[in-house]
Amino acid sequence: MSELIVFLIAFPVVVSGVLLVVTKGNIRNALVVGACVVVAAASLITVFTFGNGNALFFGLPGGVTPGHLVLVMDAAIAVFIVVVSLQNGRVVAPIMAAAQLGIALYLDLGGHLPDPDPSRLFWFDRLTMVMVLVIGIVGPLICIHALGYMRDYQRSNPMIRGRRTSFFFLLFLFLGAMFGLVVSNDLPMMSVFWEITTICSFLLIGYTRTEETIGYAFDALNMNLLGGLGFSVAMLLLSGQPDGMDLARLTAGPAGAALLPAIALLCLAGITKSAQMPFSSWLLGAMYAPSPTSALLHSSTMVKAGVFLLLRLSPAMAGSAVGMMVAFVGLLTFLFASMVAVTERNTKKVLAYSTIGSLGLIVGCAGIGTPELVWVGVMIVIFHAVAKALLFLVVGTLENRLYTKDMENFDTLLSRMPRVSALALTGIAGMFIAPFGIVVAKWTAIRAFLEVPGFEGATFLIIMAFGSSLTIFYWGKLLIKILSMRSIEPYERSVEDRVTRYEWFAEIVLAVGVVGIAAGLGWISDHVVGPYALAAFSATPRVFLNLSPAMIIVMLVAVLFLPALALWASRRSDYDLADFYTSGRTANAGHLMGAALGGTRTVTLRNYYLEGVIDGSLVFRSGTAVCGVILAGMVLVGLVVRA
Amino acid sequence: MPMSLFKRSPWILHYDGSSCNGCDIEVLACLTPLYDVERFGVVNTGNPKHADILLVTGSVNERNIEIIQNLYRQMPDPKVVVAVGACACSGGIFARAYNIQGGIDQVVPVDVYVPGCAARPESIIDGVVSGIAALEQKRKRSA
Amino acid sequence: MNPLAYGLLFVVVAPIFGGLLAGVDRIVSARMQGRIGPPLLQPFYDVGKLFQKEARQVNPVVEPLLLGHVGFMAAAGALALGGTDLIFIAFVFALAALCLVLAAGSVNSPYSFAGAERELVVLLASEPFFILMLAAICKVTSASTFAGVLASPVMVALELPGVLLAFLFVATIKLRKSPFDISTSHHPHQELVNGLTSDMSGRLLAYVEMAHWYESALLCAFVVLFFNWSVPLGLLAFAIAYGLEVLVDNSTSRAKWQLVLRSTWAVTLLFTGGNVLALFLLGR
Repeated sequence: MSELIVFLIAFPVVVSGVLLVVTKGNIRNALVVGACVVVAAASLITVFTFGNGNALFFGLPGGVTPGHLVLVMDAAIAVFIVVVSLQNGRVVAPIMAAAQLGIALYLDLGGHLPDPDPSRLFWFDRLTMVMVLVIGIVGPLICIHALGYMRDYQRSNPMIRGRRTSFFFLLFLFLGAMFGLVVSNDLPMMSVFWEITTICSFLLIGYTRTEETIGYAFDALNMNLLGGLGFSVAMLLLSGQPDGMDLARLTAGPAGAALLPAIALLCLAGITKSAQMPFSSWLLGAMYAPSPTSALLHSSTMVKAGVFLLLRLSPAMAGSAVGMMVAFVGLLTFLFASMVAVTERNTKKVLAYSTIGSLGLIVGCAGIGTPELVWVGVMIVIFHAVAKALLFLVVGTLENRLYTKDMENFDTLLSRMPRVSALALTGIAGMFIAPFGIVVAKWTAIRAFLEVPGFEGATFLIIMAFGSSLTIFYWGKLLIKILSMRSIEPYERSVEDRVTRYEWFAEIVLAVGVVGIAAGLGWISDHVVGPYALAAFSATPRVFLNLSPAMIIVMLVAVLFLPALALWASRRSDYDLADFYTSGRTANAGHLMGAALGGTRTVTLRNYYLEGVIDGSLVFRSGTAVCGVILAGMVLVGLVVRA
Repeated sequence: MPMSLFKRSPWILHYDGSSCNGCDIEVLACLTPLYDVERFGVVNTGNPKHADILLVTGSVNERNIEIIQNLYRQMPDPKVVVAVGACACSGGIFARAYNIQGGIDQVVPVDVYVPGCAARPESIIDGVVSGIAALEQKRKRSA
Repeated sequence: MNPLAYGLLFVVVAPIFGGLLAGVDRIVSARMQGRIGPPLLQPFYDVGKLFQKEARQVNPVVEPLLLGHVGFMAAAGALALGGTDLIFIAFVFALAALCLVLAAGSVNSPYSFAGAERELVVLLASEPFFILMLAAICKVTSASTFAGVLASPVMVALELPGVLLAFLFVATIKLRKSPFDISTSHHPHQELVNGLTSDMSGRLLAYVEMAHWYESALLCAFVVLFFNWSVPLGLLAFAIAYGLEVLVDNSTSRAKWQLVLRSTWAVTLLFTGGNVLALFLLGR
């Protein structure tokens, strides 16, 4: 097992190093595809050799401990951040990086860091298994998609200097760091991987190196470094505790008053990384990066690292004030992000707000911390990773083919790009449409909220009711646009033929994955997520998901309905697309209609964005303020109590 | 095919061409409590896609030929046209005007002519009833 | 009786119930306007005729989506009476409504599209209420199914008076009554033509009508949940509520979507939210 884990971490890192020196396109393509196959296979093999599913702890082969290597890595990261920031004239990031390095030096050289148990460096249980599969399967698919996407991206953005060598270097480094992060049991080791993901995302967001994206990259860096600083201070607080650096022992049960401040700081780290409300803006800035970056940051890596840590901490904060505040931050983020999404036209931003909202649900569930809600959280992690990766990749494909991200320009997509439409519809079905997937999770969450007593329970219920209705609105608008049809010119039909085979492969595999997860919902619940939730809380066995056959039928019909409809409808030609009612005026199927004085006008139909009722930027600012106050309260109160 | 339900549920689309609006008022009078055509299941739909009977008042001019033809074309089969009033039947007092084509039968096939200037509500209702009979014949022919 | 049988019974009986209700509605409306109105069975004649007419299809996705609309609406009711978790029903109910939105939105007609968008707005306005209502009913009765609520000794309406009041308000949307009939219209010569259904003809329109019958029956079932100690009382309450809706329909003009959204959310938050909050704080 330990060799496999080391391979999982080291192989992507080695590949990334090789990719840095490969400059020829063909060799790079072959290398990336080969490496992706190996990573996917290795993660599958790791999961299959995992055994009976009970938590496993192990160290490096030969009982080696990382020792001062952690400090060396910390120093290297800090130096890198200081140099890059000062080159760009930024001062906030270097201060935080220096503070983190200072804490690391104090802990390590001052001898305050207990020697890690060489047999408990790594922790592998069912949650790790889920994360390894998400990273090891969705991640490589995004890399393969990027091969096709980036070629077209460079063609359609000739002003941006191609840096594809460093781009693929970063993608693989990211995967390696994520593997390391999810298997670490030793907090200092985990923090190194944590910082590597921060730097990778910083560099990926700043890929185009325009004034704008560099600004967003530094936003992301600053916020994530703040979280990282929280992580460091948490380690400082924990350094005096027995087993303080052992994540599994730390989260074995409700944390005592002595540990809570440190738990609160670790939660702060998780909340920054999962882009919850005061820190949501970095993820929105990430939307200006190429789409594979968005897909990677949003679905299988980065933000998932944040919720992973919070789910891990869930048993420790359950029932405490810290847990409640984390829950409020998460659920309020869900509500506010969904409200903003309703007012947004840019499809990538809608997807970004939807990501922030879904993650908010996970964070909320982790904060309340009952077995049912942790079940919900892990379920959303799975659905969201696959469906959202698919949607981002599809939007990337559309962006390269149609030169737009505006939802309104996806009008009549079904006529123009029927196969891509079917893939998009699968992704949307996976995200919300059917009473399956995230809806099953929401349903279970509402059931669980009914058990939360007092003010909190009622508030969570109300937030959930409004939040999920808002998601119907923005997904509904996107669906309307995709499902409309008009007659098209032959040249428009050929647009779809220019989608690269890399993109088709990645998107089709993910679409099959969405349907597969829907079909296997019961099995996943019974054998993976359910046992994990029970083990994490040492709870008595119970059934999490009680699906009647009728419900399963409704779900499967609902998930396959739209994609199948799209594929069927695009082959039909015996319909008079011009026959729509325009008060008797002559209209044609290409969207032109007769106007005054014998002229013609194009029919343009535009969605509602609830102007005058919901002010997106106001909602975003209020959400940031409210969640910021809650979070600041959480951290400050913890530190004051501790002092 | 079982019993036809067209006679129990004739839905009407009312279109007004070039007219003095006298007949339009009488058409609306049919919907008032005095005549209450909804008793017979008549609905004034305002939408060709839902209508069985196209009820036209007023004559055809250069600008509304396209409109009348489009509305007629968009009505699903079986369908009938009822021309209400002198103008719709023949162009009426506008017949010799420079921009008038004449009665509705110049642009779409008319099944029932209702005379009068303005046509009285009783005769409009009678025209609709005759229209239902024509509708019935068309349905039988196509079945 | 087996819950499954109740579910099947719903599929068969609900359209008859809903159709008769629509017939009564039209007669009562006509009487309020000083007219006699159509026969009681008029809605059935209309739908029957629509099936005998040609269906003009403007694109291939409309009919499957409308079948989905009827299917999911019937499924929502059948699952509810068939013993499925009530909160799950809220989602199936929304899915059914969404199918209608997509069918109308896929049409290029400005009227149909505007209707679809407004239907999406009223869905956004009403959906939080239905989730909260079903959750609150489950909470007070500690039950999760229709039969469970009926068997509960707790009198739901007495525990949830605020939710019941809000139901009256929100049902106006679902019953497509003025002032909240912003997405469609049964009356000619308005800015919307027929809104959502503008481009649906023949059997396509018949599907929409039938789905609405199922919807009315499901709403009636929801009212019965409030009066869980006596089903006849629940039916009587539904009759009174429906009468009020018809009166409001005949005495108001259509509101703007902004007003619909704001007022429905305000009522949901104040009455339903307040009621739920009280419930949780009192520890029921």
